[in-house]
Amino acid sequence: MFQNRAESLALALPAALFAAVVFIVPVLILLSEGLRLGGDWSLAHYVSFLSTPLNLTVFIRTLKLGALVTVAAAVIGYAAALCIVNLSSRNRGRMVGLIVLPLMISPVARTYAWIVILGRTGIVNQALTSIGLTDAPLRILFSETAIFIGLLQLFLPLMIISLVSALENMPRDAISAARVLGANWLQVFWKVILPLTKEGLVIGGTLVFTGSLTAYITPAILGGSKVLMLETLLYQRVTIANDFASASVIAMILIVMSFSANLLLKRLATARAKR
Amino acid sequence: MTSRFVSSAILTAVITFLIGPFFIIVAASLSAGDTLAFPPRGISLKWVLKVFQIESFQSSFLMSMGLAIFGTLTALAIGTPVSYALARYKLPFGETIRTAVSAPIIVPGIIVGLALLRYLVIPFGFNLTLALFLAHTALVLPYAVRVVSASMNNLRSDIEEAAVLLGCTRFGAFVRTVLPNIRGGILAAFILGFVTSFNQVPVSLFLSGPGVRTLPVDMLAYLETTYDPSVAALSALLAFMSIGIVFLAERFLGFSRYV
Repeated sequence: MFQNRAESLALALPAALFAAVVFIVPVLILLSEGLRLGGDWSLAHYVSFLSTPLNLTVFIRTLKLGALVTVAAAVIGYAAALCIVNLSSRNRGRMVGLIVLPLMISPVARTYAWIVILGRTGIVNQALTSIGLTDAPLRILFSETAIFIGLLQLFLPLMIISLVSALENMPRDAISAARVLGANWLQVFWKVILPLTKEGLVIGGTLVFTGSLTAYITPAILGGSKVLMLETLLYQRVTIANDFASASVIAMILIVMSFSANLLLKRLATARAKR
Repeated sequence: MTSRFVSSAILTAVITFLIGPFFIIVAASLSAGDTLAFPPRGISLKWVLKVFQIESFQSSFLMSMGLAIFGTLTALAIGTPVSYALARYKLPFGETIRTAVSAPIIVPGIIVGLALLRYLVIPFGFNLTLALFLAHTALVLPYAVRVVSASMNNLRSDIEEAAVLLGCTRFGAFVRTVLPNIRGGILAAFILGFVTSFNQVPVSLFLSGPGVRTLPVDMLAYLETTYDPSVAALSALLAFMSIGIVFLAERFLGFSRYV
């Protein structure tokens, strides 16, 4: 450990200054804009934003989809992660590689593929009509369902990876011990696996939840202009209505949610370090 | 036996859900038809070739490449010293500085872009290319600090102390003992930063104008007006590019150790 204060500050200065000028100050000014009316501090923009039914619908939809995607990712993630840790170490590496692979592909490309799959003449509708389940093609695209599917595909890898590493750190004998003592699989999951991998679940859950709240491309492509989420609403308010007050309110909501999720993560990490 | 069957069924389903859409994009881009469809109507390379003829894609590709390369290099140039200071010194306000340089990862990109547009571009007359460069640098900075910090923490500090005791200057000790040891971490940070910046949309959304646009934003705009398979072809090409970069990095660097 070196002690020279001036030297250390000089090393940190360029990045700190950059972050302050390019990022922190502009974002803080943007946030303050929603808290001012004329020259005075006021909550008027927040009140009017949240009392508009459309805005409230979008707000609730964003939270709801974020929660649903997180729960679905957790369920599928546990199933997949439990299968993966049972593989031989060579196959486990390959499988993790396959699961990480989509993260390298542009989200525009990944989301765009769902248009081909879910569209009126897409594979899903072709299959449904040919089996005779529906007469007319279903309208799946431009709905909450489409956004849900797109977000799940986008963020599922993050959940699987956190759960795999949590399961790898879990004492493996715990499961067989519980089995020997007569627990059925459901009991093993609730009483052994879940408590021992809670941290991995929270880390994966935070990544998936904040990712879903702040995604732009997926709702823009799969939700269209009618099924808005907070990010797409922000974009519309600015580009169509020049309404910077609403944009600032939405920005504040998104940042507060994202920060609280990350604070939770940080507290969890420090609690773990103390133990 | 049953559980092995169930296990492979689950994994096959998950992999199909995650990677299947990518194969559909590749197949659709090889279509000889004029609209996006799967299964493709006939096989041809015409949409793949068309991508190279669309002029706006050429300029936005160059823009994205430039931003990803120079933004990431700048983020590393300012991120490596701060990571070093955080690891080796009792840095005053260390935690505050760490939070400040990592914050862009927590704040949604669209907000960074809007804030830059409103408070730097408009009042100070910054041009959009410069604003995009600053936005992409800010976006990559947290990754650079995180990856470089991780490899710095794995490195014992006594070798530099020894170099200093043996008469090296502090800077000389850094260049001769630290830099060679964190080279892999810096390369990993570069690749991660490059891919993140190149694929990024929200941060660049508000910061575009005539002739100034990143490739993914340009693709989104093209999608709004046209329904032909050229975007599918472009997506497939870009995906192969990203996978290729990451594959090579993994092969030669063991990239995943750092991320």
